[in-house]
Amino acid sequence: MRWSDGVDPALADLVAGYRTIPGVHDELMDADGRLRPHWLPLLSRLSRIGRPEIEQRFAGADRYLRESGVVFRSYEEDQDVDRPWPLAHLPIVLDAADWAVLARGVEQRARLFEALLADLMGHSALVEGGVLPAALVAGNPEFLRPLAGVAPADGHFLHLYAADVTRAPDGRWWVLTDRTQAPSGAGYAIENRIALSRALPESFEDLAVERLGPFFQALRGGLARAAGGPDEPRIALLTPGSRNETYFEHAFLARCLGFQLVEAGDLVASETGVAVRTVEGLERIDVLIRRIDADFADPLELNPASHLGVPGLVEAVRAGRVVVANALGSGLVEAPALTGYLPMLARRLIDEDLILPNVATWWCGEPPAREIVIRELERLTLAPAFGRTLPGILDSAGVLGARLTPSERQRYALKLSRRGIDFVGREPLRLSTAPVWDKGRLIPRPFAIRVFVARTPDGWRVMPGGLARFAEREDVRLLSMQRGGRSGDVWVLGARSGARSEARLLPEPDKAEIRRDNGILPSRAADNLFWFGRYLERAETTLRLLRGLDGHGDDGVVEISRDLTHRIALLLAKGGAIDDEVADDAVSLAEAAAWGPLSGSAVRLVGEAHRTGSIVRDRLSPDAWRALGDLRDRLSRRIDPLGRPYQVFAEIETALRTIAAIVGLAQETMNRRDGWHFFDLGRRIERAIGLARSARGFTEGGTDVDALDMLLDLADGRVTYRTRYLSGSARRPVLDLVLLDEANPRAVAFQVVRIVDHLATLAGHRQGDLLEPAERLARKLATRLETDDPAEFDDARIRAVELDLMAISDAVSAHYFTHGSPLPIDATRP
Amino acid sequence: MRFDVTHLTVYDWGAPAPVADCRLRLSPIERRRQKVHLSRLAFDPEPDHVVDEVDWFGNHVTRIAFRAPHSRLTLRSTATVTVEPMPALDPRLSPPWEEIAAHAALSRSLAPDDPVQFVFPSRLVGLTPAVTRWTAEVFPPGRPILEAVLALNTRIHAEFRYAPGVTDVATPLARVFEEKRGVCQDFAHVMIAGLRGLGLPAAYVGGYLRTLPPPGRPRLEGADAMHAWVEVWCGPSLGWIGFDPTNAILASDDHIVVAFGRDYADTAPVIGILSSSGEQGLAVSVDVVEVPAPITGLAGAEFAAPPA
Repeated sequence: MRWSDGVDPALADLVAGYRTIPGVHDELMDADGRLRPHWLPLLSRLSRIGRPEIEQRFAGADRYLRESGVVFRSYEEDQDVDRPWPLAHLPIVLDAADWAVLARGVEQRARLFEALLADLMGHSALVEGGVLPAALVAGNPEFLRPLAGVAPADGHFLHLYAADVTRAPDGRWWVLTDRTQAPSGAGYAIENRIALSRALPESFEDLAVERLGPFFQALRGGLARAAGGPDEPRIALLTPGSRNETYFEHAFLARCLGFQLVEAGDLVASETGVAVRTVEGLERIDVLIRRIDADFADPLELNPASHLGVPGLVEAVRAGRVVVANALGSGLVEAPALTGYLPMLARRLIDEDLILPNVATWWCGEPPAREIVIRELERLTLAPAFGRTLPGILDSAGVLGARLTPSERQRYALKLSRRGIDFVGREPLRLSTAPVWDKGRLIPRPFAIRVFVARTPDGWRVMPGGLARFAEREDVRLLSMQRGGRSGDVWVLGARSGARSEARLLPEPDKAEIRRDNGILPSRAADNLFWFGRYLERAETTLRLLRGLDGHGDDGVVEISRDLTHRIALLLAKGGAIDDEVADDAVSLAEAAAWGPLSGSAVRLVGEAHRTGSIVRDRLSPDAWRALGDLRDRLSRRIDPLGRPYQVFAEIETALRTIAAIVGLAQETMNRRDGWHFFDLGRRIERAIGLARSARGFTEGGTDVDALDMLLDLADGRVTYRTRYLSGSARRPVLDLVLLDEANPRAVAFQVVRIVDHLATLAGHRQGDLLEPAERLARKLATRLETDDPAEFDDARIRAVELDLMAISDAVSAHYFTHGSPLPIDATRP
Repeated sequence: MRFDVTHLTVYDWGAPAPVADCRLRLSPIERRRQKVHLSRLAFDPEPDHVVDEVDWFGNHVTRIAFRAPHSRLTLRSTATVTVEPMPALDPRLSPPWEEIAAHAALSRSLAPDDPVQFVFPSRLVGLTPAVTRWTAEVFPPGRPILEAVLALNTRIHAEFRYAPGVTDVATPLARVFEEKRGVCQDFAHVMIAGLRGLGLPAAYVGGYLRTLPPPGRPRLEGADAMHAWVEVWCGPSLGWIGFDPTNAILASDDHIVVAFGRDYADTAPVIGILSSSGEQGLAVSVDVVEVPAPITGLAGAEFAAPPA
């Protein structure tokens, strides 16, 4: 009987043309072309839904991912590029019995690696007893000598372990690689799950697919236990930063699990422990989940070139004052050179037979193994013993013996006989296949599944599912998202029925405790929000000045006087937008100040706003972020020389409107907590400085009506002025409106009142009984502006206000922000 | 030979730095032929914390931390050290080099000075095929290890030009090798890379070399510098032997060891982190003065302080 006998014709149509690769196991179809029964419920459901709707649903899943901001970041042509997440729309379906073996095997490896790490990083009895060659440890770049012999504070090296698995031709699972350093992908697995369970909700429920949510709750519980103390555990996730390819996942996990997301610059570490620098002072951290490789974790004791690490972290670990998950040094057991020893080590360390085999691997430091590899090189893969590229010799992926010429093989044989310690020989591996949806039909593609195991308060727990990765081509040796390929979900068929939708993966919303604080604001975030505000405002100030070159606001186009052009040019030069040498011609001036290369040009200021904004992107609304990106892109484009001067000013107007939109969005969407205060504080200080500077620029050296009108325009004061005064613009009333009128939202005094309000609201505004210096300075300035007479405002007085404002900004930096980023001290040379 | 060493390091941060953390390896270690009678570190300004430690390789590390703004940092290390001369060796009687390589690969010890720690690429010394090939030319099969390493020592001295200022700590080894010029640190790294390429255990030594003034000229104070050379493990009976490729000599009783490791990164005299944006300035002076050995047998003659 053929599988298709009695099978629904729609289902038969779906798998028509599905051809497995001879000698390779396939998830959907056996060697005789029969469909495996546990796929039938999903496939019949799909065939009932019909192709057009399936396509719609899959498009919906993609849209969900896009809208949730799930992207894969790669680095191409000197730029970070966010690529759409390549979702494979069919899950890999595994039946419960099959899964149970895999899960047991992966859990066993977690226990084995924990025991192995405890030995190798501890007293290394295995080496001293002659069980393992010392070279396997001494030659391993993950053997962190500063931490050798140091037990982790909570007694454990591993909190999360992952294995990449695929199937041998006979259908048994085997392990491709072990991930003990900082396994990534668990967050992506949740996103894949949410997207797919939304696209195929009926199947998800019918099949009682095992849910992932409880696994993450258990992982969180395990980390909280590691924190030790009775208090609310203080757990942070250390990311290399927003340019990292898996940054999305770091941010996502931190948000879902309630961990603080930090970068190295947020942390201070010493033998007394690890703390986050916040605007309210140092906040202690008990558990640090690291997503950076160990070698980069501490520039003082590990890689001195690292900018991602925390100086003193190794010291804190040695002192037992912080739990790092996974512990520094955990990467030691990922080495391919250890693979061949694992069956023996399992019997020795945990007294069990290894459940999941690895691809056969020989470490060439042992003479008999080296002989085998040299003899059979033509059929084997040669790879670096410790997983790292050997520059000029062998890259980390290794080389297929079959692809080498006889003379190349001979050269490798010489290298092996000289330094066999650097190499492993491996049976070449062929990934097994599983179906992917491709333009309305199913096709087999090579895959591997990353299976995760977490340490929980009740022991190790395996995530029932995983992150599947598919290759785009049939013949592959490596899977990498960077090189194309798709990512998918793994459905483990449950014994229970009625699994709930994974959309509820996170704690039930109505069970969440009501919290109004958004956590304590790290200093680095506050610093960047403050400067984001300042740069945005500074760009606006510059653009507003440029607008002045285009004639007089509501009076229509008027010839700009040489004197006024000159005053504007001086102000632009003072702001670093132009050189002194730029011509007096208004259009050239505007063009240079808007698009020029100097650090004060509008395009450079917007670039700085974008840079600082990107660091605090998770605190900005997606709309504001997009508008900021548009603004930067638009300003970065060269303007058409034919369209001048009209286009110059049209672009300036557009840019000003976009800035207004960004600020509006920020005002509307940012929570009125500390973060917003710093953003607005930056804007207010910058605006007040810009106005004071303009007030001097347009009044010094005698009063000129055009110049006073320009100043009124900068302060949006012309209408108010007309309603208050019948006469034309005069120095004293204009200065009153621009500097001292607390009711005018663009007056300096108005800004200063806001500055005082912001500073007074911040929790860290008192030092004992005293106000912190910034607030003291701001209050003094506010009082002075309140009580001063505009007649007394000569150039020197205005300059004094400007200096006060700069002093306030410096005092804010000194009190609330990190003191710059630490730099390495120059090396002394022998 | 008994020496008084004064090693002065002066940093100018360029702008006040509110925070600085340093790890110093400035205090000489005890070795088989080297005894440290006195070793002292002085700082200006006084650090907020000072902690003495021993690193994995057995080097003395002093951690200092500053938590108040300061613009300059002066480190003054003084030591009194006795170094015994190398006993005479017959290079022809040392084991063939291949034996040494096989021994290291199969070591069963993770001790910090076990040869197995020194055969693998390290942070600043990667395996460099061109250097390995060049080194192999003086390592024909079966050549006694001492003879071969001495030949390499001489070859580096002959083919490389001593040229201060053309390289820095970040200069890649391949470029030093290509241009055949650099300073003692570069030569030591090239030698280590070549030896390790053949599977031989080679270590980096940072320290001081007593230099003698040209005949008839007075000795200038502070004219000496920190020096670097190489130790090679030459088998269980000979152990670690020092080679100075900069001067094409064996390290003997003019060489004072401060720190020992896989390369400069393990022995760096100062590693630190600073929060300041200023342009850093650095001045180093070393003074090695031979002093008469105390007369033995006289009670209280050894009036130097106990080793630090």
